[in-house]
Amino acid sequence: MTLRLPPQPLEWIDRNETVSFEFEGKTYTGFKGDVISSALWANGVKVLGRSFKYHRRRGLLSFANHDVNALFQGQDRPNVRGDVVTIDENHSLQAVNTFGSLKSDKGSLVEWIGKFLPVGFYYRAFYSPRFLFPKWESLIRHMAGLGTVDTGWSEQRQPKRYHYCDVAVVGAGPSGMAAALEAAENGVEVCLIDENPFIGGSLDYQFANEETVFASRNRLKAAVFSHPNIQVLTDSTVAGYYGDHWLAVNTSQGLIKLSAQAVIAATGVFEQPAVFRNNDLPGVMNASAAQRLIARYGVAPCKEAVVLTSNPEGYRAALDLLASGVEVGAIVDTGEVSHKWVQKVLTKGIPVYKYAEIVEALGKKQLKGLVFKAAGGEYEIACDGLLMSVGWAPAGALVYQAGGKFSYDATAHQLLPSVLPDGMFACGRLNGVHEIGHQIEDGKLAGEMAAQYVTSHGTSKTESENSVVTRYREVSAHSHHYPIWEHPKGKNFVDFDEDIQLKDLKGAIAQGFDNIELMKRFSTIGMGPSQGKHSNMNGIRILARLTAKSIDETGSTTARPMFHPVPVSHLAGMRFRPERMTVLHDFHREANAKFMEAGNWLRPEYYQTAETKQACVEAEVSAVRSSAGLVDVSTLGKLEVFGPDAAALMDRLYTMNMSNMKLGSSRYALMVDDAGIITDDGVAVRYAEEHFYVTTTTGTSDAAYRLIQKKILEWGLNVTVVNRTGQLAAMNLAGPNSRRILAELTDIDLSNDGFPYLAMRQAPVAGCQATLIRVGFVGELGYEIHVNANDSATVWQAMMQAGKAYGIQPFGVEAQRLLRLEKGHIIVGQDTDGLMNPFEAGMPWAVHLKKPYFIGKKSLAKLKQSTSRTLVGFELQVNDAARRPLESNLIIEQGEMVGRVTSVGFSPALQKVIGLADIRQDLSDVGSSFQIKLTDGSFVSASVVATPFYDPDGSRQHPVENPKGAAA
Amino acid sequence: MPLRLLKYAWKKPEEELRFFPSEKPLKQSYDAVIIGGGGHGMACAYYLAKEHGITNVAVLEQGYIGGGNTGRNTTIVRSNYLTSEGVKFYDASLKLFEDLSEDFDLNIFYSTRGHFTLAHTDSAMRTMRWRAEVNKHHGIRSDVVDVETIQKDIPYMNVECNGQHPVMGALYHEPGAVARHDAVAWGYARGAQLRGVEIHQKTQVTGIQTQGGKVVGVQTNRGDIQTNKVISMVAGSTPRITRMLDIPTPIEVFPLQACVTEPVKPFMNTIVVSGSLHVYVSQSSRGELVMGASVDPAELHSTRSTLDFVEGLTDQMMDLFPFTSRLKIMRQWAGMSDITPDFAPIMGKTPVEGFYLDSGWGTWGFKATPISGKTMAHTVAHDQVHELIKPFALDRFENFKLVGEKGAASVGH
Amino acid sequence: MKFVNCPLIGKRALSEFTYGGVVKSEPDLESVTDREWAQFVFYRHSDPQIQFEWWYHRPTGIWFVFERDTLTDRIESIRMAQKGAVNDA
Repeated sequence: MTLRLPPQPLEWIDRNETVSFEFEGKTYTGFKGDVISSALWANGVKVLGRSFKYHRRRGLLSFANHDVNALFQGQDRPNVRGDVVTIDENHSLQAVNTFGSLKSDKGSLVEWIGKFLPVGFYYRAFYSPRFLFPKWESLIRHMAGLGTVDTGWSEQRQPKRYHYCDVAVVGAGPSGMAAALEAAENGVEVCLIDENPFIGGSLDYQFANEETVFASRNRLKAAVFSHPNIQVLTDSTVAGYYGDHWLAVNTSQGLIKLSAQAVIAATGVFEQPAVFRNNDLPGVMNASAAQRLIARYGVAPCKEAVVLTSNPEGYRAALDLLASGVEVGAIVDTGEVSHKWVQKVLTKGIPVYKYAEIVEALGKKQLKGLVFKAAGGEYEIACDGLLMSVGWAPAGALVYQAGGKFSYDATAHQLLPSVLPDGMFACGRLNGVHEIGHQIEDGKLAGEMAAQYVTSHGTSKTESENSVVTRYREVSAHSHHYPIWEHPKGKNFVDFDEDIQLKDLKGAIAQGFDNIELMKRFSTIGMGPSQGKHSNMNGIRILARLTAKSIDETGSTTARPMFHPVPVSHLAGMRFRPERMTVLHDFHREANAKFMEAGNWLRPEYYQTAETKQACVEAEVSAVRSSAGLVDVSTLGKLEVFGPDAAALMDRLYTMNMSNMKLGSSRYALMVDDAGIITDDGVAVRYAEEHFYVTTTTGTSDAAYRLIQKKILEWGLNVTVVNRTGQLAAMNLAGPNSRRILAELTDIDLSNDGFPYLAMRQAPVAGCQATLIRVGFVGELGYEIHVNANDSATVWQAMMQAGKAYGIQPFGVEAQRLLRLEKGHIIVGQDTDGLMNPFEAGMPWAVHLKKPYFIGKKSLAKLKQSTSRTLVGFELQVNDAARRPLESNLIIEQGEMVGRVTSVGFSPALQKVIGLADIRQDLSDVGSSFQIKLTDGSFVSASVVATPFYDPDGSRQHPVENPKGAAA
Repeated sequence: MPLRLLKYAWKKPEEELRFFPSEKPLKQSYDAVIIGGGGHGMACAYYLAKEHGITNVAVLEQGYIGGGNTGRNTTIVRSNYLTSEGVKFYDASLKLFEDLSEDFDLNIFYSTRGHFTLAHTDSAMRTMRWRAEVNKHHGIRSDVVDVETIQKDIPYMNVECNGQHPVMGALYHEPGAVARHDAVAWGYARGAQLRGVEIHQKTQVTGIQTQGGKVVGVQTNRGDIQTNKVISMVAGSTPRITRMLDIPTPIEVFPLQACVTEPVKPFMNTIVVSGSLHVYVSQSSRGELVMGASVDPAELHSTRSTLDFVEGLTDQMMDLFPFTSRLKIMRQWAGMSDITPDFAPIMGKTPVEGFYLDSGWGTWGFKATPISGKTMAHTVAHDQVHELIKPFALDRFENFKLVGEKGAASVGH
Repeated sequence: MKFVNCPLIGKRALSEFTYGGVVKSEPDLESVTDREWAQFVFYRHSDPQIQFEWWYHRPTGIWFVFERDTLTDRIESIRMAQKGAVNDA
């Protein structure tokens, strides 16, 4: 049986090209441009899917991108919408959420026990006895969901675009086209956006056979396409309004982020189904769905139709059916629409039943007939198609999201915009204007107002205070005020996504869920994939009636994005993640570095010179301790501070006194926040009276720079800070032979007197201008060398070359961590936590409370008196490699947590396991012992020892040596 | 078929017990007034009535029951906190949660799923181990697991994360669960109401009256009420209430957003959180993937949605679950989080006698619902702060005794 | 997605800015009590209001002061942060 009609004037299909596809194991053929639902329907397939809860057979309902009962499982994605996705030779489709097949779905057993599954049934059972709940839950989960995910699907990402316009017109129906044209005529740039592949909207399906609009249709479309100020975006859904007239426009090519100056909502209305027994049988559909089927795809909705109507649109649909050769058995009017329309259809020989009340639709697998009451009694008319035309609800999501309001118009029996936000306008059927000529006038006015709004920069006056135009609104109803009919046997569905019947809502309301939001949450009305597009309005009407409130008092649920669901691949867009490499990256790679991530940076963790990581690290440590090593520390934040108040700034930023630093010296720089919590540390040097240079930790450079800039402003200091993190590179040359190696590359006096510990020098190294700081972080004679980034390769190479004779080794983060641990130096963020202050970190020496001011001083003065924990060094009493604590293992004292290990490692120099621990103050004395609870729950004993563990008097950091001569 | 279901099905809806009473006038005075008809407020009312016999109580809700953060969160329940204070408190909450369905005679769908907090850096691994050790010390089932273990439970996770920040391990918290958030509020509300508590929806508090530093009454849009005890349990609206009494707090309000995909057949049985990727996800019994990220970057008292949120979330999500690119985001929403500097709540007494505060929930309010109600009810009934919430006093900040939960922060819903 | 109409750098996406907290003025350390200091560090009235805030524009490295309504998210005014900004906010 084919329902394909002869060619229609405005159809979207190309009859010259057929497309075959598979559905439920059978091959079907449609035309290019057919959507899945139209192609199947044309082939006489009217059962397109099964319902969510009862697994009832379902066909077409809205045919407007929210037919959730016609969802299909594709090979490469779930939940393919049959009413909008075009057929494809590669399609092999299945109905979603069936058990067995669409034809024979074991899930339909649920309907037999449906009586026992009333609204909210799952709240009432399954929890006792408790041990059975997981079983029930797994059964419920088995029944839940729609399409199936294949976790093997590959990642997809669609690039996004940005777009700008003056006026965005959403919806390219008659009012939207008119609005766009008028705005464009007023000289502004317009974007006309429609979710369909073609513009025209209801003009093309609701008025397809209306001769009086032929001319204006062609004129409007031609004018829209030829106007230089209008850009048309079809196949484009405005998924959300995000403030400041930003629209997220989803297209098949990806997301467009559209920024407009003004927005016109010409988004139209959703046709609402009537609620009566068996209103979900395949064959029962909205009249507009039938009209779309005919006009767009040249497919007849049925052979013999009955039209259920409350408005002129229903009569128009009946005439469309006749024109396409479908027999119309009757028009069942819920009232008396108008004499004019009645006459029109009567002349065609269609009987009209007025003031009808619906009893039920007949049929088991498909629609067979309609039973209703009207003057003269009860009637039964056989039909295989029932078109419902009982009213409209606004497609008002954008207006709601922008902060607009709707109120119920008791004349039109429709929710209409009552308050529109600044720069937003509404027109057309959304605005309660149904007559075609008026829609165009209404659109023009909206276009004009929007253009004026843009050209006057938002100062133009509109017709009303709320930007709402009422002059073209209908004076008669186009919606039934309560298109809902009870039936003792129920199965009168309000929400087709969620299988919610009238009795379910009644049940929810009776139990106290009599607020629109509570009713939604308890019954789940509107929570399915169509998000209430066909159910919310009827839900509101039912709630209002049952609570004896007005529609406005009843209110509406919130319309949140997305308008239609948007693919994750479109929202995500391309993957842009920063990844930073130092200039020396290639050297590290060539040296076989194993890289690790440090924030966005890649740093050598260690160099793969031996079999195991431990051996590699130990070799690096040994090189530093016995001869020389070189580490790339370019990832450190590097800030330069200069100006008359430079010293004052440094004093205020850091806990130590910085203003008394001598020229050419360096000092530890510790920063805390207002609450006294450690946030950062580094090394500061003084280039000149009014010129400092300071490093930050790798992770904090941007934040530290921002903070310092802010503080300069707050304090009103005459000083400038420059972030040189990316411009400069830095490396640390460390080890007893470092001085000898350096001596080969620079002319400055490297003797202890000439360049003492903690001093700073500026001089060429390997011919490149450098800042050299004598540091001791790793506990050996060492120099931190800062150079321009593009010189760093030269300097690195030169040092490696000069160090060759000494067996210099590059070393990585792991070796550096171990080396500094041997010295008892902390790492901010590892040994400190989100609340630790310098006293707790065992660094009272770094806090100069005598300074008049520094960030957090007042807090530290208070905290100093109440230190309850502190960082200490410890060593294990027994060195058992198998029973070594891990960082974050706890310290337990009499069953209480009293601290934790923050750093731990096996010291090659001491041949002991050493570490730092954050421990309760009273247990922190050197010599006392404590118990560390290992991950397996057993304990090891540790003793508090003084730090540094290694070289406590620091003699290795400043050895006496003849700089240019032989070893001392 | 369970017997309970048969009983429920045979009853006519109108014979069913109402969860919430229909609207009625406010009384002149109450022994206690709870501001906020969310989970916390309802739980407090429930325990006041059930455990302390205080039933002359009004719960005032400006909107509808459970319409605030109770109905906006992603329903995760867990107790794998970092501090002893946090662990004990949330563990007590979790235990109450386990009993709630039977307590209420209403299924709250408390479903233990297991909760993975992924670590993508060695510093995150240290934090995970820290949490695991603290948890285990308190008898909570948490463990640091390696990548192989994660892959066994979640074979479809791309632990390589597109080559950047690969997963190094995770904190696995076996008791991690989800629950039907609305049902928790409804169950408490019904239980409180049955015991005589009055619930007034669409009733907004406009002022709190004091005399000599003591609470004497509450003003509302529906008239004034006399009472000597007022409990503020309003999460994101806390600053509005504390302003009425001129009690400054460390709370700042930031929106927290979430979204769901279209429903698909359940395949994800565990809860997955990644702090580095700012993603958390679980799959609901309806089949939707429920996802969230961290709070919005700036203060705002609004539940508006942003595109930046879904863009960022979906982008990061794909690092872990590439196949989700074929799913569609169906709906997004937001709640208002009342954040404190140490990421621990503020509970108990205040400088105004008779005014009690339950706030500072940040992004963890839902999982604290039962225990907050219970401990606050105790505190109000005895005018003595419950042992479990002593560390969460408002004055801890001026005493510089912060709780330290911030160490485990990042994203940890 | 929000726009900032900046008098200095034109119309920019808000996502280019980093929020830096409320502009508040620090009490004088000499005269402030411990309690007052704690109040400054931790406590404030953060109910919905129009407040002055620090916002950092990352591409230019400039700190701005926004006057923003924390109920509506509306930015009432924008200016470049000036030295001593605290005192004239």
